[in-house]
Amino acid sequence: MDYFQGKILYMAEPKMMFSVSHKTAFVVDHCPYMAESSRQQVECDVLTKNRAQGVIPLAPVSKSLWTCAVECSMEYCRILYDVYPTNKLVNYIVSDSEFHVLNSWRQGDQSTQELMSALAAVGPPNPREDPECCSVLHGLVAAVESLCKITELQHETRTTLMDTAERVANRGRIICLTNAKSDTHVRMLEDYVQETILEQNKLAAGSDRLMAIQQCELVLVHIYPQGEDTLVSDRTKKEVSHLLTSEVHSVRAGRHLASKLNVLVQQHFDLASTTITNIPMKEEQHANTSANYDVELLHHKDAHLEFFKSGDLHMAGSTSRDSGLKETVTLKWCTPRTNSIELHYCTGAYRISPTDVNSRPSSCLTNFLLNGRSVLLEQPRKSGSKVISHMLSSHGGEIFLHVLNSTRSTLEDPPSISEGCGGRVTDYRITDFGEFMRENRLTPVPESQFADLSEKSPVERAKAQLERYTRYWPMIISQTTIFNMQAVVPLANLIVKENLSEEDVLTCQKTVYNLVEMERKNDPLPISTVGSRGKGPKRDEQYRIMWNELETLVKTHVGGSEKHQRVLDCISACRKPPEEEDRKKRGRKRDDKEDRLEKNGNKEADDKSWQESERLKGSIEREKEEQESEVIKDSPDSPEPLNKKPRLTSEDIQPPEKPKGPVSLLTMWTNRITAANSRKHQEFAGRISSVNNKAELYQHLNEENGFDLTLVIFVWESICTSIILSFKGNLIYE
Amino acid sequence: MPTVVLMDVSLSMTRPVSLDGSEEFQRKNLAVHGLTMLFEHMATNYRLEFTSLVAFSSLWELLVPFTRDYNSLQEALSNLEDYDKTCLESALQGVNNVVQQEWGSGCPCQVVLVTDGSLGIGKGSLRHSLQTLKNRSEDKKFPLPFPFPAKLFVMCIANAEELQTTDTMDNLEQLLSLNRGEGQIFTMEGPLCLKSVQAMFGRLIDQAYSPFHAVLRCGNLSSDVQVFPRPEPVIVDEEVDPMPRTVQTDLEIVGFIEIGDISSPPVISRHLVLPIAVNKEADEIGTSNTDEAEEETSANQMAGKSPNFCVLLHGSLKVEGMVALVQLGPEWYGMLYSQADSKKKSNLMMSLFEPGPEPLPWLGKVSQLGPISDALENPYGEDDSKSPFPVQPKIKRSYSQNVTVWIKASGLQTDVQKILRNARKLPEKTQTFYKELNRLRKAALAFGFWELLKGVAELLERECTLLPDNAHPDAAFQLSHAAQQLKLASTGDSQYAAFDHNIAPMHTDFSS
Repeated sequence: MDYFQGKILYMAEPKMMFSVSHKTAFVVDHCPYMAESSRQQVECDVLTKNRAQGVIPLAPVSKSLWTCAVECSMEYCRILYDVYPTNKLVNYIVSDSEFHVLNSWRQGDQSTQELMSALAAVGPPNPREDPECCSVLHGLVAAVESLCKITELQHETRTTLMDTAERVANRGRIICLTNAKSDTHVRMLEDYVQETILEQNKLAAGSDRLMAIQQCELVLVHIYPQGEDTLVSDRTKKEVSHLLTSEVHSVRAGRHLASKLNVLVQQHFDLASTTITNIPMKEEQHANTSANYDVELLHHKDAHLEFFKSGDLHMAGSTSRDSGLKETVTLKWCTPRTNSIELHYCTGAYRISPTDVNSRPSSCLTNFLLNGRSVLLEQPRKSGSKVISHMLSSHGGEIFLHVLNSTRSTLEDPPSISEGCGGRVTDYRITDFGEFMRENRLTPVPESQFADLSEKSPVERAKAQLERYTRYWPMIISQTTIFNMQAVVPLANLIVKENLSEEDVLTCQKTVYNLVEMERKNDPLPISTVGSRGKGPKRDEQYRIMWNELETLVKTHVGGSEKHQRVLDCISACRKPPEEEDRKKRGRKRDDKEDRLEKNGNKEADDKSWQESERLKGSIEREKEEQESEVIKDSPDSPEPLNKKPRLTSEDIQPPEKPKGPVSLLTMWTNRITAANSRKHQEFAGRISSVNNKAELYQHLNEENGFDLTLVIFVWESICTSIILSFKGNLIYE
Repeated sequence: MPTVVLMDVSLSMTRPVSLDGSEEFQRKNLAVHGLTMLFEHMATNYRLEFTSLVAFSSLWELLVPFTRDYNSLQEALSNLEDYDKTCLESALQGVNNVVQQEWGSGCPCQVVLVTDGSLGIGKGSLRHSLQTLKNRSEDKKFPLPFPFPAKLFVMCIANAEELQTTDTMDNLEQLLSLNRGEGQIFTMEGPLCLKSVQAMFGRLIDQAYSPFHAVLRCGNLSSDVQVFPRPEPVIVDEEVDPMPRTVQTDLEIVGFIEIGDISSPPVISRHLVLPIAVNKEADEIGTSNTDEAEEETSANQMAGKSPNFCVLLHGSLKVEGMVALVQLGPEWYGMLYSQADSKKKSNLMMSLFEPGPEPLPWLGKVSQLGPISDALENPYGEDDSKSPFPVQPKIKRSYSQNVTVWIKASGLQTDVQKILRNARKLPEKTQTFYKELNRLRKAALAFGFWELLKGVAELLERECTLLPDNAHPDAAFQLSHAAQQLKLASTGDSQYAAFDHNIAPMHTDFSS
């Protein structure tokens, strides 16, 4: 046993997807002699003590060879399906005077329920049928034919591989449960299978839906009644030809057959056994005492990899049972239990199947786990030290044996995150990002819903949502004003949506009016004073910062969406136009800073400027197109007056009339709109006749009527009168 | 990935290197020079790596156990003594012991073997070891391949021509193939001198000790990070197309999942995600004359003070008890989470899932995980009381569907007793009685166990006769009805023995 059988390897040594265990054909003999009794008697009338005396108990019943074969093969399938729900397929064939194929390789046919139903239809062998025309050979032929049939997985893989399709292998196993006459009879069966494979391979060569068999493992299980001597001798695997290997197991019906098939399923599917010991269980009769039980589980043997590799297997409590046929590793139930919020370092998880599925201790354990609880398991060591090596846990009705790492970690004692980059910043928006994470949780989307190929896959949509949600996302509290304001929450939550409804737009607009109202009332804002001298900015400066930030947020989402644009328009229309003086002064100052900031990236200490330059960087990136066509420098704080700048082409734009300063997004946006609009209307007479830029601006600003009117129209589009009033009030107040 | 440096201290390492003009070196000096360079590199760029130093000749000795203290390694290197002949096999066995004792057998390691290429003569030589490879008993097996995944780097203080004149190169190549081809043989190019030994160790550093830098992204938020230890290429063991997969340098977060939902998933490796400051040009202004060390500390302080996405992410993951699902490549995912050690230091950690479209059955296909806003109704519920995970498999496993197994007699007895127990409590237990009866009937039909049906029918008839006088009259009716139905089924008559047919309770005047 070496680590090479691990699931992930550090070099190429393919574990075969299409190994012999991909396809298993069961051939069960249904000839009259199988109706014979196994002579193993079962007492099913167990009389309880307090029952009336004198009652004659029912005679014990005994299973036929057929019943034994069927129930043991079903047990084999049960374990197989528990551990490998997909891609390990069984084709069940019954043989008497002809063959009956009970299911197909289709994944949908792979369940014990399906098989049980089909078996019930077949019924027990008819002892009165003519033994001469009955034979297991019919079934063996059918099994070979069936192995040539392509499975869904083989088909899919071949289709996806196209030109290298020949690399998809076709191997399989035939398990034949029969009652053979002699060793010669067994040899005859082997030869027959060999011939059939050759025949079928010829047929398969000329067919699209068939594949030639490259390797076949024949496992013949000779079943004979208890108390009889076997006429067939056991034989280990031998090579009949390069295509076929064969082995013979001669077993008595009943529990010997059951344990033989249990061993076989483990061999065939790389399983191993773990016995959980010391499981405390309450007794029904004595509720306050508990006794300890053991439960044996089967699972992929990789769950024991660490034991095998370290040679710890014996120390781990490996015991041999059933005369050395079966090995199991003992792990001890561990209290206290673990909770689900803990993330264990787990190196593997393997599906389990209880060996004795409906025994009381087994079902007790499985129900306990299925109810969502997990159990840690301890590896008994001779030194007496306690090492937790495994965990049992269920996920979605499936129980897994998790392998936990129990050795020293190479990552111990790492530098704490607080010592690294960004580690000394203390005002991260941890709670807000937590909220962000909750909104960006994932959920499984049913596949059919997105069958359309043009549609983005759900995971791509999840990424797109993250992109939208983070277009403007300041990481620290002192970098933001709006995200510290309860009043902005409704807008901030909605604006990130891909599509806004009418109702959403209204909510956003209401948020904006609410802010206008706050500004009118001169409510204080949660502006950070970190890094600024004195008391921080004045109230109207605070609002200016807030409005800028809000605009930045909304602008990042406008891109082509008319509804988002309406929200932006609303903000532009509602915010207070800044004072001319202040604007000039600040504009110049910021200009200097800007130059430096562009070089320095975000290292600027003054957090306010940082903040703005950061926004600008983002906005500049996103609106490069606009920037390329219009290099207008304007103060970031001042929204462009809402006049239309008429011109016919966009080439002749000159940075007009404005004081120097960095370009605000709004400016760029407005300019773009203006440019577009200007092509649609006649130039103002005043503009055409103008010579001096500055003069032009004042001329237009002085045209109070026109300006006011535009605003009113803007607002009227979507709002109630009271707001207009308050807005007008603002104008008057100014 | 811990490193074991396996240093050849046999006498042949003291052979002088013929150099015209300059001072005389031994091969050992060149080896020490190369290793010093490696240790210096690790101390600055790879300092979380655990390294140990083993010296060997005919015996082996662990000079420095696994440590991150590169000074102690350096010191041990300068105190090396010279011994007798080279015996590689026992030294490799030593490496095996040292590694397994410290890290168990699941932890991938790198072994750097430094030798002059004269690998001994006679018994104990590599040649002898390789020749006797096939006829060994189980307890004297050659130590390669190691039980743990290992890369073997052979640093030859000799040039290729020299090694090819003997069979040394062949032997080393065979050694490497015993290690499943994992690793590489490095030889010196040109004359044996400090420069060429530096070049050789430089190639080793590029190959195995270059830090893995990546960008961690969540939409527009991002951070430059170092992932430690470097994620190694992974080969998925598929028969059809085994392609090594490498982790891409763009680590893109896909979304978030609660720890309880991801539920201790199996991972192939774990890595620290350490934010790094890459943009050093940014603070060039005015610091031209300061001391280099000072500049570094001030740069570190600056980096400490400017907000970093990793720290934000780590903080929120920790507080919320969530993990971030991160895409590592096409159809390959991992998770980011906060990991605290015993000293309450916590860190951002990344675990890699097995490559493939569906690494965890309980999440379903990762490509089918979408944003909750796609769902009509929030799958987590308005108050976070629900979860869309785990994804339920289509078919239930045997232990959750009440299967019938009668392999042990006790299984059959229990099922029969259950029916009898309910039979004695008719008519109250009518529903359970028929449920158990039908379960038994189905199994008996599937197993072709008609004898059992007859037997149970007889048992029910007997129960009927044993009913006490005060029994409800319905009980007798139901019992004889059930017995009769079982008998009919046991004839195999398709009308009564259909698998999907259920025996329904008899409708009597009493039952209403």
